[in-house]
Amino acid sequence: MQKVMQPSLGERISRWTPQLVLVPTLAAAFVYVVIFSVWTLWISVSQSTLLPNMAYGGFGEYAALWKSKRWIVSYQNLFLFGALYVLGSLFVGTLLAILIDQRVRFESVWRTIFLYPLAISFIVTGTVWRWIFHPQTGVERALNDMGWLSANFDWITDRDMALYVVVFTGIWHASGFAMALILAGLRSVDGDLIKAAQIDGASMPRIYRKVVLPTIWPIFVAVTVVLLQFAIKTYDLVVALTQGGPGVATTVPAIVVYDLMFERGQIAQGAAAAVMILAALAIVLVPYVVWTSWRDRKQGAAHG
Amino acid sequence: MKTHEAARMSSLSAFAVLAVATTAQAEPKINMMHQWAQGSEAEAIAKLGEMFEAAGGSWEQTAISGHTSDMLAKLSSDIVAGNAPAAVQLKGPEIAEWSAVGTMANLDDVAAEQGWDDVVAPELVSVMKPDGNWVAAPMNIHRVNWLYSSAAILDELGLEVPTSWDEFNAACDEIMAAGHTCIAHGAADWSDTTTFDSVVYGMDIDLYREAFQNGDVEAMRGQGMIDAFAQLRKMVGYMDDGINGRSWEQSMTMTMTGEAAFFLMGDWTVASANLAGFKEGEDYLCNQTPVDWGGTGFILNADSVVFFGQEDADYVEGQKLLASTIMSPEFQVTFNVAKGSIPSRTDVDLSEGGFTGCQQQGLANLKASASEGTLVRSMAHNMTVPQKYRGAMMEVITEFVADDSITPEDAAEQLAEAVELQD
Amino acid sequence: MAENAQQAFDPLATGSRSRQLRSKSIVYALLCLFALLYLSPLLIILMNSYRPLAEIVREGFISGPEALSWRYWVEAWGSFCLAGSCEGVSRYFNNTLIMTVPATILSTAFGVVNGYALSKWRFRYDTWVFGLITLGVFLPAQMTLLPWAFVLGKIGLSNSLAGLVLVHTVQGVSFTTLFCRNYFVAVPDDLIKAARIDGAGFWRIFRRIMLPLSPPILIVCVIWQFTGIWNEFLYGAVLTSGSNQPITSAIVAFSGSGTGERHYNVEAASVIFAALPPLFIYIIGGKYFVRGLTSGAVK
Repeated sequence: MQKVMQPSLGERISRWTPQLVLVPTLAAAFVYVVIFSVWTLWISVSQSTLLPNMAYGGFGEYAALWKSKRWIVSYQNLFLFGALYVLGSLFVGTLLAILIDQRVRFESVWRTIFLYPLAISFIVTGTVWRWIFHPQTGVERALNDMGWLSANFDWITDRDMALYVVVFTGIWHASGFAMALILAGLRSVDGDLIKAAQIDGASMPRIYRKVVLPTIWPIFVAVTVVLLQFAIKTYDLVVALTQGGPGVATTVPAIVVYDLMFERGQIAQGAAAAVMILAALAIVLVPYVVWTSWRDRKQGAAHG
Repeated sequence: MKTHEAARMSSLSAFAVLAVATTAQAEPKINMMHQWAQGSEAEAIAKLGEMFEAAGGSWEQTAISGHTSDMLAKLSSDIVAGNAPAAVQLKGPEIAEWSAVGTMANLDDVAAEQGWDDVVAPELVSVMKPDGNWVAAPMNIHRVNWLYSSAAILDELGLEVPTSWDEFNAACDEIMAAGHTCIAHGAADWSDTTTFDSVVYGMDIDLYREAFQNGDVEAMRGQGMIDAFAQLRKMVGYMDDGINGRSWEQSMTMTMTGEAAFFLMGDWTVASANLAGFKEGEDYLCNQTPVDWGGTGFILNADSVVFFGQEDADYVEGQKLLASTIMSPEFQVTFNVAKGSIPSRTDVDLSEGGFTGCQQQGLANLKASASEGTLVRSMAHNMTVPQKYRGAMMEVITEFVADDSITPEDAAEQLAEAVELQD
Repeated sequence: MAENAQQAFDPLATGSRSRQLRSKSIVYALLCLFALLYLSPLLIILMNSYRPLAEIVREGFISGPEALSWRYWVEAWGSFCLAGSCEGVSRYFNNTLIMTVPATILSTAFGVVNGYALSKWRFRYDTWVFGLITLGVFLPAQMTLLPWAFVLGKIGLSNSLAGLVLVHTVQGVSFTTLFCRNYFVAVPDDLIKAARIDGAGFWRIFRRIMLPLSPPILIVCVIWQFTGIWNEFLYGAVLTSGSNQPITSAIVAFSGSGTGERHYNVEAASVIFAALPPLFIYIIGGKYFVRGLTSGAVK
């Protein structure tokens, strides 16, 4: 009986199964991520106006973009809104998850209450919160009608505060999702480790910090990625809530991209704006990737 | 042999007859892309569909509501995908722009047959024929420079509707002193610019033509524009604090219920007012916005349907049928009564069909303005300069309204720079 | 057994009884406060779906209904005139269902298999593959619209619900792969190693080990995808036409009125119709959503 045989075709295929299984997704992702991005990159230096035009046009669109006040405001808003939204949702989500994790009763009720905002589309979320925030139809009006005449809550009409209204609404929408995933993570923490820590006399906050949170780190990463992409893609929420106003105070890059590409018939400049959005993403992601691989290498060396 | 040949001959001729018959009978069909998914315009489009079907066509529509950018996004996507739509609601300089990048259908036959060149307002004909042939059919004419006044407040203070900007400012000072809001407004880029259209036009019609129709940047940074911005700043002072986030219909309601004295908006206000039950003459008065040069002023806006070149013979027939249906007096009456505007054909009699007093006045003003040479197209409503300039200008204007710290001098300079930047 | 381990850990059980009571009441108080804040918009929409229009316009949005009338609900579903037909939002609702269900199922299926392959069958460059797939979640819709239109046009699926299904599946796989891979990473590798030593192959391990562990993440994927696709507006409006449009188009139609009155009450009822399917999935899937990974796992 031969011990050493050439693997059959079937066996060779099955050895490659993991990779084969990924091929359709990889092919689709390649087209969707790489080719579409390269196309956008090319279009941003092309002569496209109303329709895509592949002729080279130079980098003038980038220059024009950065001279526009609306773009500069929107880019700043991207970072400000993005940071507040992601951190805020993580914070509120973790807080809610910890609260629910305290063995409270009616857990399914609390869970549903905090999760349901995600079921509502951004368009509706923005519209309803606009009704609530607008001084003449919402909270300020209700308070005035109830007798508290000097009540004042008009942040949404205030150039400096309107962005925080958007942040608040965004956090309302997404924190439930963060809560749900973090709660699942909390539940998957090793019970024995916690018991050991309790026996050692560790207080509750210390247990959370040293045992629980490190375990749920991958969940945190997934949630952060999700929140980040929401922040970058924010369009419907702002359009429904403030229309980018007052003036251009709450405009975000996705609005500028869309507007340039279609309303103004300046596809090249819109593509340039889209490329800048991806650049902003790179500014955030690249350090993280570098840091993770540096940390992994350090750990590998330590264990080696 | 003979029988065989005979059979072949007859089958060949049968095919020939069939072929001729088929090409001669293209079934007109259309899929019209537009923005009016709801309300009275949607009903009017539904009527158009009914008329189209009654004339033998097969009707479909795609209503893309929301902002114009959504419909334009669909238009671009369809063309990129290879399906240029048969009929699309586009207007103003867009018609010329799309003509330059796409193939358009040629409606000259239908136009000649029905005599469009004679009945359509001259300012509008050039828009519909960017390269010399008819590629679009105008559905209506809107007037942008209407001033709606609250009858109640004017009566209370014994004021007349102001006819010049000085009179307007004086009236507002009195009205504000009496404790009312003078101007009802909902701040948005297009509504701020609508107001500004009327201000510039009313103060200096030549400035309007140079800056807003021809896009001359030197006119934009000139003293005339600075003065116009100063007037706009004054007017913002006559508004209340809730302009951000208020819709134009709410502003209209404010005026007609007597909470505010004046409302500057186009004639689509009338359609809304009718639906809400407000009465012309009792609740509100309609006049042109103040002009400093005496005379009849008319700022024109027109909705139109553009036809892209099609390969399918059925769509080609459908386009011709739709174009003639749109231009038919019957449709013009139905559509415009519903929309508050006036027909794009000047030969329609407005005393029948349900047109309001304001609409009839509008037509009379249109004719007067055309003969006086004061007729212009609206920049605010995308009838003059290409979108890339208009968008940039609207940004400056809406920022000016929202931010008290921007001086008229700064604003005029920003306006010119914004336009220069787009080249 | 794992259930017991979880139940044994009650964080608030540290400390004296009165301290426990105080901690518990703080927890409930905070939860109630947040709950009120989270629920307020829903309550407002609900209230406004019963009120007549004149009342809403007169008194603002935050005010209770004087009478509970279902007529706006009926109107919203079956008779309100939108985009040329007076059939309410029911047709758009069905369109969205036809599009969302296949796209959700497909993207979840791909995601769970991809996540398994990427987390348990390491190979060279697998992190790069994962990174490439994950990058897909960041691309703004406005940027990818025209390329998608072009692609769909070339393969003959433009202006069709099938085309939308393709777009949403491809875009969704980025998310589902991300979720599943990060979830499966926590499954102990020893389980897999043991199974491989026993001679199990890729699919066997998938069926016997991964699938039974995956209900929590499957529900997350289903909820995420269903909600995202159901509520999506841009692609739905642009890549379909005429009677194919999804329900988000109908909702937007209420606000872009032009010269009509805005029917806030019918709009509110329609919004609730539009929100019902995702909400329904949340309610029934919710408990799987937050179940821990190790409950039921072999320790």
